[in-house]
Amino acid sequence: MFGLIGHLTNLSHAQRVARDLGYDEYACQDLEFWCMAPPQAVDEITITSVTGQVIHGQYVESCFLPEMLAQGKFKTAMRKVLNAMALVQKRGIDITALGGFSSIIFENFSLEKLLNVRDITLDIRRFTTGNTHTAYILSQQVEQGAARYGIDLHRATVAVVGATGDIGSGVCRWLTRHSGPKELLLVARDYERLERLQQELGSGTILPVEEALSRADIVVWVASLNQGMAIDPATLRTPCLLIDGGYPKNMAGALQRPGVYVLDGGMVEHSLDIDWKIMSFLNVPNPARQFFACFAESMLLEFEGLHFNFSWGRNYITVEKMEQIGSLSRKHGFRPLLEISGAGSEPVIQ
Amino acid sequence: MNRTDESTAAGAPALDYRSETYRDAYSRINAIVLEGEREACANYLALAELLPDHADALKKLSAMENRHFKGFQSCARNLEVTPDDEFARRYFAGLDANFQRAAASGDIAACMVIQALIIECFAIAAYNIYIPVADPFARRVTEGVVKDEYTHLNFGQQWLKDHFEAVRPGIEQANAQNLPIVWRMLGEVEDDAATLQMDKEAIVEDFLIQYGEALSDIGFTTRDVMKMSARGLAAAPRA
Ligand SMILES: NC(=O)C1=CN([C@@H]2O[C@H](COP(=O)(O)OP(=O)(O)OC[C@H]3O[C@@H](n4cnc5c(N)ncnc54)[C@H](OP(=O)(O)O)[C@@H]3O)[C@@H](O)[C@H]2O)C=CC1
Ligand SMILES: [Fe+2]
Ligand SMILES: [Fe+2]
Repeated sequence: MFGLIGHLTNLSHAQRVARDLGYDEYACQDLEFWCMAPPQAVDEITITSVTGQVIHGQYVESCFLPEMLAQGKFKTAMRKVLNAMALVQKRGIDITALGGFSSIIFENFSLEKLLNVRDITLDIRRFTTGNTHTAYILSQQVEQGAARYGIDLHRATVAVVGATGDIGSGVCRWLTRHSGPKELLLVARDYERLERLQQELGSGTILPVEEALSRADIVVWVASLNQGMAIDPATLRTPCLLIDGGYPKNMAGALQRPGVYVLDGGMVEHSLDIDWKIMSFLNVPNPARQFFACFAESMLLEFEGLHFNFSWGRNYITVEKMEQIGSLSRKHGFRPLLEISGAGSEPVIQ
Repeated sequence: MNRTDESTAAGAPALDYRSETYRDAYSRINAIVLEGEREACANYLALAELLPDHADALKKLSAMENRHFKGFQSCARNLEVTPDDEFARRYFAGLDANFQRAAASGDIAACMVIQALIIECFAIAAYNIYIPVADPFARRVTEGVVKDEYTHLNFGQQWLKDHFEAVRPGIEQANAQNLPIVWRMLGEVEDDAATLQMDKEAIVEDFLIQYGEALSDIGFTTRDVMKMSARGLAAAPRA
């Protein structure tokens, strides 16, 4: 049995999903209520591999919302993640992906020091960040997306926003080793970490985000922003491929300009329909098949009986591990999402 | 996100257990703990009368509550605090009146919901949140107590589960009647709890986790549980 720990993108999104699921008591509540709400196992999932193998899983909503970080409610955020993890462990789930901000919270607040949750001691080997698969899928979106949208990768400049992050650094390693763009632009705030990454890669140019955006043919967005950044499409090159892997999205609002293509980053498409409800609350054209690569990682580990934390910690994602999870991904029928998303904005809402 | 800033921001200043402020807040929090244990002791005896088949087990639970009472008395003595009993009796008056009424009319389901589900879950949540911030003496006492409270919760849970079909409406009614009282009670001591570095939000969440688990084990669906446990929460006064 696999598990997915997820969260919604903001309060109005959460209220809408609660209403759609028929949880009216939750639908009209404010942020303070969500701060007190316990995690809930709200969906049961059945997925079939193209090999014919069938597995089952559960989706646990942690009730965390990125606004909690924006408002400095760090203890609340920590509690949400720990309580959701305790719930999946109590249910005997073998391998669980910590989706979106869950793993970022786990790392940034050193939750590995707080593994005793009431009468349960969390076994972190049963959890994976899913970031190796996400980094692999993003790298594929760069390579295959470039081909599809008429960009010659070897002559292109690729910017990675959030380059020093867990996913971002994995993507940078892959691009340097396999894709060979003309130039790689590294964007984040902490300069020392950027320099260390540059040294490790043996290439790459460190730039502030505005400059990088005006120079890039392809932008991979994987910064941990709890709210989207406003982008002026007029400052972008054309053609330009924007692959937004943030959750919530790194880019605020829709970008309307000919020659500017926006992909839902870090998203996979499965070859067969999946039996679940929860994904229909994301703004994807085909919710029965399209969803987060990090969630898909826990499915892959379950298909293979690999019940351990394949992706864990920060900055350990190697190209070899990306290749390994990539071949499992193809074997079981997943592929990177390549259709342009309806908008560069976050999943619907309001 | 800036890692270092946020991880330190999540911490809290060290508590001075001997300070006037701490001991003043403790005089009320400790008193309601004592009152809760005293009533629990009496409530299990009342239940023993109503359920002769389970009388022995219930009398044992009652005796445990009596030991808890004494343990928490020693915590107050250790900090040289005089518990505000008057405050505590007023604090529990609503729940206690409902229990007494249910017991007098032989409504076992309501008695179980009030004592073995609501009060025990409330105690478990509060004690779990208290343990990491308690003084060393009280921490040891509370760690022992909280283990017992789980067995009390289990007892009530099991009985309600065994009689689920018959008592379902009774559980729903007792839930609707008493849960809003619990939210009000929590609101009343929010400031004192904060002085002890116990977050009201964290207590409510822990309560809902424990209570929800119990209700779903008894036989309610996730949907029922969400409906029942959110009952009256939004209407509760907030800080
Ligand atoms: N699609 C999917 O399946 C998944 C998506 N995600 C999403 O991917 C994103 C990244 O996750 P992850 O790699 O785990 O996060 P990390 O915390 O490991 O890395 C975050 C990166 O963003 C940078 N960053 C943060 N704030 C800013 C800013 N204001 N401007 C520029 N750079 C910034 C950080 O560097 P610095 O602090 O120095 O600026 C760091 O490089 C998140 O949005 C997450 O929700 C995560 C998992 C799966
Ligand atoms: Fe007790
Ligand atoms: Fe008890």
